[in-house]
Amino acid sequence: MKLSEIKENTKAVVNSLDGDARFISRITSIGLTPGSRVEVIKNDRRRPVLLYARDTMIAVDRKECEGIQVTEVRA
Amino acid sequence: MSTTIALLGQPNSGKSTLFNALTGLRQHVGNWPGKTVEKKEGTFTLGGVTYKVADLPGSYSMSANSDEEVVTRDFIASGQADVVCILADSSQLERSLFMLADYAGISAPCFLVLNMEDVAKEQGKKIDPDAIEKKLGIPVMMFSATDTKAYEKFYAVLERALKNKSQLNVSALENEYEKVEGYSKIKSQLDDGVISGYTPMWLTVKFMENDKVVSAKLKNALPDEKLKKIEETAGGQNGAIAMGECKFKWIDGILSGAVSSSSPGVQLGKLDRIFTHRIWGKPAVVLTVILGLIASFIPALPFMGIGSAIPMLKGPVTASLSGAGCPEIVISVLCDVVIQSLGYIVQMLGFVFGVTFVFGLLEEAGVMARISYVFDNTMGKLGLQGKSVMPFLVSFGCTMGGAGGARVIDNWGQKVLTIALAWAVPCGAAWSIVPMLAATFFGAWSVAVIVAILLTMLLHMWLTAKIFGRRLVKEEERCGMIMELPPYHKPKWGALLRYVLGRTKDTFFRVTKVVMLVCAIFWLLSYAPEGSNSILYNIGIAIEPVTKVFGLPWQLFLAFVASMVGKEGSVGVISALYTGGSYGAAFNAAMSGAGAAPDLTEILLANVARPEALAFIFAITFNLPCVVALAATYQEIHSAKWTAKIALYYTAVSLVLAFIAYRVGMLIW
Repeated sequence: MKLSEIKENTKAVVNSLDGDARFISRITSIGLTPGSRVEVIKNDRRRPVLLYARDTMIAVDRKECEGIQVTEVRA
Repeated sequence: MSTTIALLGQPNSGKSTLFNALTGLRQHVGNWPGKTVEKKEGTFTLGGVTYKVADLPGSYSMSANSDEEVVTRDFIASGQADVVCILADSSQLERSLFMLADYAGISAPCFLVLNMEDVAKEQGKKIDPDAIEKKLGIPVMMFSATDTKAYEKFYAVLERALKNKSQLNVSALENEYEKVEGYSKIKSQLDDGVISGYTPMWLTVKFMENDKVVSAKLKNALPDEKLKKIEETAGGQNGAIAMGECKFKWIDGILSGAVSSSSPGVQLGKLDRIFTHRIWGKPAVVLTVILGLIASFIPALPFMGIGSAIPMLKGPVTASLSGAGCPEIVISVLCDVVIQSLGYIVQMLGFVFGVTFVFGLLEEAGVMARISYVFDNTMGKLGLQGKSVMPFLVSFGCTMGGAGGARVIDNWGQKVLTIALAWAVPCGAAWSIVPMLAATFFGAWSVAVIVAILLTMLLHMWLTAKIFGRRLVKEEERCGMIMELPPYHKPKWGALLRYVLGRTKDTFFRVTKVVMLVCAIFWLLSYAPEGSNSILYNIGIAIEPVTKVFGLPWQLFLAFVASMVGKEGSVGVISALYTGGSYGAAFNAAMSGAGAAPDLTEILLANVARPEALAFIFAITFNLPCVVALAATYQEIHSAKWTAKIALYYTAVSLVLAFIAYRVGMLIW
């Protein structure tokens, strides 16, 4: 599923990234690569998704979330 | 011979704080030759040796995503830096070491500073820099900009890196890369030194990441058959992702055993819960900026007091000089150009000092990142960053403060565009005269005029963003928000204050030059010796048939011209011109704070028709804000060309708006 479909306070693992060279470069440089564990902290409609990954609080636009496929991790 | 140190780090790694603390007042800000990228340099002396420090622009990586990043890596590869100081945030090592991983393979010597030691400690993280140093082969140190002892340690590590010309050990990283299909094949086609400053490893990685600049360089440097081979092997998007994975695997390997954490998981702090709130986020940010604006006035007040007292010198100066038999024209230049401008500049400088200080504080504390987060989507539509909202709001007070506040925007093109849009925001001086004029002519309808002005402002900003945006912020450099919300930091007061004082001093000298020049030109144009008319008056009369098309008789047109120097002066000019006074005297008196004639309302109503008044209101509101704002804009963007472009554009647009307002007025009345 897409990153934006993950509910708040849920953990997930990044499966794949999809986008142009610029997007791939930006998203990897901020720490998201396949296999990264993320925790969605805030996910309000029409607002950027807030997530925690690699010790960092990161905000990602909903549109950019389209290119980030994840799998939910159940506790 | 001096030694050059380059500072490299992701945003929020504390790079600017370190730069300011090291160089203090000895800073120079300009542009990279031929590039629309800001160049920050400074110096410091240690043991009799002068060190040059280059604060390299850039964002999260060494890729070719922006001009900033290309300038940064070209500078390092060119060998101009004797050593590169790479900064990482100790509280987020996993992610912030990415810059180091991306740097690996560039030949310049380097060392690693793990900044924000204090924040990491608070989070319960224990870091062993010696263990990391062993794996990397370069000096590694913990650092906290707020700790005064840290600098001694920093200098020692710097010396060590310089003496040993320490090179990063990349073998473990290369092992990871070699596991990726195609990597070895491409690398085998590249000889050492194919592009100087970069190793074949680094070039291969960038080629696999589809880096346009590296691909183009290789195309030039390689013979056809080799080029064909590497192009066949390139893995497209997957290659880029694989390279990213390798870098993080390497980082994980470096950190394993060197970092232990007892942090209890993540939660948003109270403040962040408000800032990220769906409904309350925006009001909270606007409130923060407004409070910041109010706070800016506290350090600004002494300056404003001094500034407004300066014109009082005019009386004694005139008296003593004419007593000494000095010619009238010299006295006039001294009083109406030099003293007048100084008073004006010092007042506004106070505001800039306050804004730079308060907003520098917000930046260092991490609050600015929240402002950016909340407004990024809205501002993104104009091609700007979320932070741009701050200069806009400040410009309701003073455009010069807005221009100064735009300093926190780290991309030159976006900074120029932000200032260009901030000019459209009516400033305090406009608000002090426009409602009065509107009430005089339109009574209760003045509310509609104010609303129309605010709507025009939004339209103006949108249109200006369209017109200038394409040149200043390239379409391919625009992208949706992917940003970090850094932890809050304690600001380093001393370094911040030194930096702000330095910037204020710098602004003072540069702004003074421009303001004096412009004021001198205006003085010359309005100077009228006994028995003759000023040049400006003659021009005004001559071109009245043209200005009337825009709804401005010559009196109003001259007041419009005067509003370019300062909007406060324009009303005084109108009342003087309609009562037979001279333009020059009226303008100088009005700018020194003399009130308008007591019967101003009658004078205006008797001489100016309502459509003309409407045209005039729009013309002065959207005219270029004032000469000090013009000078401050030049000071911030260091481009005479762009400053002139923006100024001419605003003059033209304000006349067009006056034309429209006049025609609309004619239809109504």
